[in-house]
Amino acid sequence: MPDIWGIGAILSKLMLYVGISGATGLLIIRAAFTDLVLPLGDMMRGQIAQLAGLALAGSVLGFTLRGAALTGGADGMTDPEMLGLLWQTPVGDVLVYRVVGTVLIVVGVFMPLVGQWIALAGGVIALWSFAQIGHVPEMEITGVRVLLLLHLLGVAFWIGILGPLHTLSQRPEYLNNAAMLGHRFGQAASVIVPALILAGLLMAWMLVGDMWALMTTGYGQTLLIKLALVGAVLMLATANKLRFVPAMQSGENKAAHHLVRSIEIEAVIILVVLAATATLTSVLTLPA
Amino acid sequence: MKKLTTFALISMLGTNAIAHSSVDTTTPENGAAVAEVPSEISFNFADDIRLTKVNMIHQEAHTVTLDLGDQTSFGRAFALPLQSMGEGTYRIEWRGLGADGHAMQGGFTFTVD
Repeated sequence: MPDIWGIGAILSKLMLYVGISGATGLLIIRAAFTDLVLPLGDMMRGQIAQLAGLALAGSVLGFTLRGAALTGGADGMTDPEMLGLLWQTPVGDVLVYRVVGTVLIVVGVFMPLVGQWIALAGGVIALWSFAQIGHVPEMEITGVRVLLLLHLLGVAFWIGILGPLHTLSQRPEYLNNAAMLGHRFGQAASVIVPALILAGLLMAWMLVGDMWALMTTGYGQTLLIKLALVGAVLMLATANKLRFVPAMQSGENKAAHHLVRSIEIEAVIILVVLAATATLTSVLTLPA
Repeated sequence: MKKLTTFALISMLGTNAIAHSSVDTTTPENGAAVAEVPSEISFNFADDIRLTKVNMIHQEAHTVTLDLGDQTSFGRAFALPLQSMGEGTYRIEWRGLGADGHAMQGGFTFTVD
């Protein structure tokens, strides 16, 4: 069981993951399916800014918690010497990426025209921060960093669809938009989702290395939990694509209700997947 | 659904946390029994580290934070003067920062009798 600082680290990471993947995901969905999500314009803008704010808070909290880990007490969270030390390490570099990225998202999302591209660039900068420190970047292979970024962009795309599809499916007047959005997302996801899962499996294999470590270490077991949960989300997503969305396209109102429930369950499982990932990257060490 | 999330989050926390630790050798050694209180303790690390806090706990009762003096830069070998508290068990707990930004921690125990 991690100590209080470990739990704090996991929670701040979770804020960061939800915030960055949510905000960037909504930006990608808005750029990719502009015409279909037009009715949600103002609402999405607000959500993107809030999620970017959550990511910013998680980044700063995570940084100060690392200060606490250096002294073993809450005093370290505000100790200028400890925070100054951290600032000089790669931990300081990623804080810069995350602050710049999230601020660009907030500024960009409220600017007309070119603003959405500024916000998207902010999202990519914030996501790229994950390729700077951690278990995967420590392998020091540039290709793997790019693989991690692509994995994260895929994850963001998937997370980004949940909110807009959920909202549109609940409004009978936008049932056609919802059905078309679900259909077009499903087409893109049938390529993107297998690719992101393959990238994840490849990185996992490079990190863990063998089946024995996967079964016997805390890291390996947490990774297996994550994979099982991803499998569950995948089944729901497949049901959405093959059953509910086609039914909605043929005008069945009831199918929209099923889709809404399915998305809610999907969102909860994805939250747990992100929590498992935060545990993997915060308090668990790789098998030796 | 909230219960499911809470349960899953909590069960997720029930895994073993291991801080990154790379201490190579210490003087006195972990578990050693010595006749006199050493005037200083020393650590050798496998990689560069900046010590941030070192506590001495005597007989699991009295905790003293050791003065790092001028040893506040990255290095692999550190020696800190130790204040004698008489016979008994001494536990040294250290915390530090790796050059890659990882927080590290560890400890060792010796007995004076």
